[in-house]
Amino acid sequence: MADLSIAVRQVGDVAVLLPAGFINAHTVRDFEEAMERLVQAGRYTILLNCRDLNYISSAGLGAIMGLIETVREHDGDILLSNLQDNVFTIFDTLGFTQLYRVFGDESQALAAVAPEQKG
Amino acid sequence: MASKVDHAQFRLIIPSQTRYLNLVTGLAKRASLVAGFDDATAAKVSIAVDEAVTNVILHAYHGEGEHSVELELRFTEEALEIHIWHSGQGIRGDQLVLPDPKEYIKHPRKGGLGLLLMSRFMDEVQFKADEASGRNECCLIKKIS
Repeated sequence: MADLSIAVRQVGDVAVLLPAGFINAHTVRDFEEAMERLVQAGRYTILLNCRDLNYISSAGLGAIMGLIETVREHDGDILLSNLQDNVFTIFDTLGFTQLYRVFGDESQALAAVAPEQKG
Repeated sequence: MASKVDHAQFRLIIPSQTRYLNLVTGLAKRASLVAGFDDATAAKVSIAVDEAVTNVILHAYHGEGEHSVELELRFTEEALEIHIWHSGQGIRGDQLVLPDPKEYIKHPRKGGLGLLLMSRFMDEVQFKADEASGRNECCLIKKIS
């Protein structure tokens, strides 16, 4: 089994990215490229549904940080949902839960951005 | 006469390649459980080891995969110690600056957060250089409370 697989689907104007497995220095380039492809395609609102993400190291956090400015400059955002406890701890320890909007599940995240996009 | 074996410690030597990170972090997690830590603490120890070994591979060895990274796990009554040795570039004192996460949002850049995770998740993080052997060491300690 690969260390990391990534699925992407579009829900309205939100690109939902589902990384499954481990994001570390070995797999981070795949994760980064998946997000970069979305941004290059003009999909600036990205939801990371981390339901199947078992592990993320600072390499993965750096990849998210590397794109946040670009998406926000285009009135988009990177949202997080379905964080497993150990993954939440990593985000929270580094203060990322203050910098990013974190939701319990995907539907809550989608509902939160829907009104903004209508407005 | 057979020499006495110290069962409280053992070593693993891996090539300096990121493909082995998952193996090492899995080992660190299991070792933490053996030492008596709970799942949440074991996860923290494993990520600290990931960050330390990643630093060695990417920064000390500049991503060159033909070197070795040596890990030693020591189980004591007081703590789990993970010693990581390499022969690459040592970390300098001025590199041991913990970033402010909130500064990252103003000045996003890749990397730099690993040291912060290591220091937050472990009780002690030490960097040492052995001039005699030319090797550098990163020592991670998690105390058993």
